[in-house]
Amino acid sequence: MREASRLMVQQLQLTDLCLFTEARYTRHPSMADLHSAFQDHPLALEHFPSGSLATPPRFRRERP
Amino acid sequence: MNRSIERHRNILDFALSSLLRRKGKNVSLWVMYTLVVFLIAAIVFYTHALKREAALILQGAPDIVVQKMVAGRHDLVPVGYVEKIAAIRGVTAVRPRLWGYYYDAVTGANFTLMASDDLPPGTADIGNGIARTMRIAEGDFIPIRAVPGATTLFQVRKVLPYASELASSDLILLSEGDLRALFDFPRGFATDLALTVGNPAERATIAAKIAAQFPDSRPILNSEILRTYDSIFDWRGGMMVVMLGVAVFSFVIFAWDKATGLSAEERKEIGILKSVGWETGDVLLLKFWEGAVVSLAAFLCGVILAYVQVFFFSASLFEPALKGWAVLYPRFKLVPDVDPYLLAVLFFLTVVPYTVATIIPSWRAATVDPDAAMRS
Amino acid sequence: MIALHDVTKSFNIGKPNPFTAVRSVGLTIAAARLTVLKGPSGSGKTTLLTLIGCMARPTSGRIVLSGDGIAGFPGGEEMRELDITSLPERFLAGIRRATFGFIFQHFNLVRGITVLENVMLPAYPTGERHGEVRKRAVELLSLFNVERHAHSRVDLLSGGETQRVAIARALINRPSVIVADEPTAHLDTDLSREFMEIVGSFKREGKTVLIASHDPLVCESSRVDTVVEMRDGRILRSGSAP
Repeated sequence: MREASRLMVQQLQLTDLCLFTEARYTRHPSMADLHSAFQDHPLALEHFPSGSLATPPRFRRERP
Repeated sequence: MNRSIERHRNILDFALSSLLRRKGKNVSLWVMYTLVVFLIAAIVFYTHALKREAALILQGAPDIVVQKMVAGRHDLVPVGYVEKIAAIRGVTAVRPRLWGYYYDAVTGANFTLMASDDLPPGTADIGNGIARTMRIAEGDFIPIRAVPGATTLFQVRKVLPYASELASSDLILLSEGDLRALFDFPRGFATDLALTVGNPAERATIAAKIAAQFPDSRPILNSEILRTYDSIFDWRGGMMVVMLGVAVFSFVIFAWDKATGLSAEERKEIGILKSVGWETGDVLLLKFWEGAVVSLAAFLCGVILAYVQVFFFSASLFEPALKGWAVLYPRFKLVPDVDPYLLAVLFFLTVVPYTVATIIPSWRAATVDPDAAMRS
Repeated sequence: MIALHDVTKSFNIGKPNPFTAVRSVGLTIAAARLTVLKGPSGSGKTTLLTLIGCMARPTSGRIVLSGDGIAGFPGGEEMRELDITSLPERFLAGIRRATFGFIFQHFNLVRGITVLENVMLPAYPTGERHGEVRKRAVELLSLFNVERHAHSRVDLLSGGETQRVAIARALINRPSVIVADEPTAHLDTDLSREFMEIVGSFKREGKTVLIASHDPLVCESSRVDTVVEMRDGRILRSGSAP
């Protein structure tokens, strides 16, 4: 299972696992930045359950 | 030495018989305890295994991905950048990626569309998740509503293998021409650029050069892509905090209940034991074994059940929570992987406090004078 | 033999209601004999029993064990005399377990477990092998004719049967001294007589027996060797039975 996925990632140069398909920033969390969730409008509070599971990584949050 | 072992065995024997005597209470305690361990262990197993999968699968991801930003938003990158970036020393290949999202109104699912080189026009390769959601197979036609308004039909050449669902479940692969036509994608632009770098150690420096040369670009390193998946299911955020908090809280309540006292019956029994020659240490050992037996049994059961749930049933109990509002969710089996460090932490956070909670209320009763039984 | 020298036991010293249960008692309990402590309740009989039986330590005075029966003390086999007054708790408990067997007024059996398990209980902390203890327990039960109840719960036994189980329990660690506190308090005449017969058999085996009682059936029994009369924590008179 792992091998097939790894091969596909290599062939197509993919960057994310297909886990949460609700929104752009949950489907491709590595391509998103801190503001991706707010792309829709400035007061767009996180409304997807998976948004709380796939949070922006710590290194992005801690940037000065 | 032998006498010491025999003493433990005898007292353990009596501890077991004591537990069985109060069967109802002890069974319900054990069940609750097992549930708490099960919940925490299942979460731990699932997240750990998934993170490991991500780390291994995404090793083949691009070395650097270059995005273009306009006013802080992700914008299309001009193909003209390709030559200039390819000229940077250390970059061995630059490949423009063409991809985007498509919302299918009929099913309510989001798909990821991607351009692939080897597809004849008019055909598409679809991920297994799409085949499942839309109930189509090889040879069928998949309708995609293009930007101008008319719906185009693409014949499914191939359904991507089930084994690659974690990476490709929601993918639709089209030829470049078809994709550009579908979305009226401006010629001379791509979604982003995937770079191959000869020496992994140079990735950071090259990214810095790109950021300097193209101030509106955002280079993303392979290491950053991998680290993103290190922090999914981060216990410090969102739902995880709630779930773990609930589990810990219920465990605390339940150990507290245990710790706040012995019944009169138990007190009397301890008095009798002291009067027939048991020392304080013997009584405490008895209570320790009572707590330890329930603890160990619950821990083992909880962990085993969690293991089976996560690795044999693919965490089916969690699916509603993980799926969230998504219509399409990949089907995959996780490779069993257990981190002994996490198990050890779970052990010390559950078994030790519970055993201590059993001994503490007994302390007072155990130190009663042996002659108290004479006077009662 | 157990010798008490000027033993006093006081409770609640330094608290609002201190009282002295035993005052300046000097006494010798002869080995292999039946000694009866006689007196009304509150005379200090029970407290004296606890002091002799290594359950409590005297406030002042000395208690010395001597003779062959001292067990449960490392090196005790060679000792002819042992002053237990200031022994640490652990050693005291060990001696108590191996040397003394107690029969309580209310029997004090553990409810909810079987008769057999009750009898084996005092032997658990000694580290003796489970199988051997069990064998001895069954032998004791059959000695007192209650073997058939071995796997019954103690709540289901009659008064006399319960007492015999309590006696069997007192014997499980093969003690050389038997201490009984008001053993006939809950028994009818027949059962009381039976009890005294069992006491007789203890004497024949060379065990020392100490009974606290104010039951005439006990105090005036022919088997009694010494009667010690007590009142208000003091010994009024002590001597051979009439």
